Amino acid sequence: MRIGATLLLRNQNCVQSYSWSNIRPLGSLQIAMDSLEEYECDEVSIIRPVRAKDSIESFSKDIEAIRLIKTMTPISFGGGIRTLEHLELLRDLPVERLIFSSSFITKNKKLINKAKNLYGQQAIQCLLPIKIIDQKIFVYYCNEAKLISINKLDLSFINNFANEVVLYDISNDGLRDSFNEQIADSLSYDYPKLVLSGGIGKETIKWARKKGFASVLVDNKALHREYSINEYKNA
Amino acid sequence: MKVNIIDLGSGNIRSLKNWIEKANITASCINNINDLDAEIIILPGVGEIGSYMKRLKRESFDKAILNHVKNGGRLIGICLGFQIMSIFSEESGGVKGLGLIKAETKRLKGNISHNEWEPLLLRKDSMTNQSFNSTEKLSRKTVLKGRVFYNHEYGVINKDSKAFTIPISSKLKQYTGLFVKDKIIGIQFHPEKSQITGKNLISMIL
Repeated sequence: MRIGATLLLRNQNCVQSYSWSNIRPLGSLQIAMDSLEEYECDEVSIIRPVRAKDSIESFSKDIEAIRLIKTMTPISFGGGIRTLEHLELLRDLPVERLIFSSSFITKNKKLINKAKNLYGQQAIQCLLPIKIIDQKIFVYYCNEAKLISINKLDLSFINNFANEVVLYDISNDGLRDSFNEQIADSLSYDYPKLVLSGGIGKETIKWARKKGFASVLVDNKALHREYSINEYKNA
Repeated sequence: MKVNIIDLGSGNIRSLKNWIEKANITASCINNINDLDAEIIILPGVGEIGSYMKRLKRESFDKAILNHVKNGGRLIGICLGFQIMSIFSEESGGVKGLGLIKAETKRLKGNISHNEWEPLLLRKDSMTNQSFNSTEKLSRKTVLKGRVFYNHEYGVINKDSKAFTIPISSKLKQYTGLFVKDKIIGIQFHPEKSQITGKNLISMIL
């Protein structure tokens, strides 16, 4: 199982997020990437935490910040890739995999197919920000900044087009060892197809490894201490 | 030494350039066959083989690569760029490759996706009967032990007994992770994203 980290990118700089709503500055993307590479972090997901309103200008500026980084660590990128125009801007980035969220919810086959042609099926990840309320599963639909029932999703479409599905526990985002295990079973996908994010800690990692998940993405904690990644790997 | 990286407008060309430059070697990205001028060509590749092959042919890079190898130039294929060197790939409903190596590209057994880090142990002396090794000896390093990053759904099955190969892993031993034959190197993993091992590999093979 891969042990990765999430870096949230906002206005060309990294931020930390707590419980999906509180944001704190973290610093330069290059410095964060350098540290994670030195710690031999298996992969980094760079996410733009956009909700509802986003502009192509803001997207372009963030893309330029990513374009400038020098790294030898695998990167996946997502957050606001909504049209072919956005996809076009991604050329020549140091990125191997693309993360789509709203486009999977709206079944934007044209966009996802184009991305598949350019990057390959192995490069397509679907991110589902999930919240459980009264035992019911909801997915955050970023384009419209609202929660929708998981029943509204075409799970077979996601299964067919996404190489991996990132399940992001938004209630426990930024917290330690609090990932809601119920989320992992909410989509009836095979565990090796799933990447877990939000509330990841050592205990979660032990459990995830036993279950055979593809990867876990540690959020803020990955950069709090020098040996964090190493400790998570040996959890 | 100069390196040309074929740029067909997709994938992480920038990462490859960064990787090559870690060995203090100048690399240029080429999108027109008339600009090819290096002893080593890197054929990168991400994407779907059908669409990639179409772009390669449209820009006449297929013939240019074959000529480069025929004229004694060195060629490094990475990931899809490695698969495309084979005779045939099952992907995209079946695509004829460049036929530079006696190998076929097939869907990984069990229809799995292999997105993992795997250990790599490479001894330079085990490649001595291949002519790829540079005479410039940029590195004295002879043993490379580390880990490399894979992200693929198709794998190359080598059929050339004279080639030097390293399997992907014990679980995927029928598929080739590293291939060296004469002036051709095929790499299924992403050396440009394999951190310190990738950095060591480039100075070892060039």
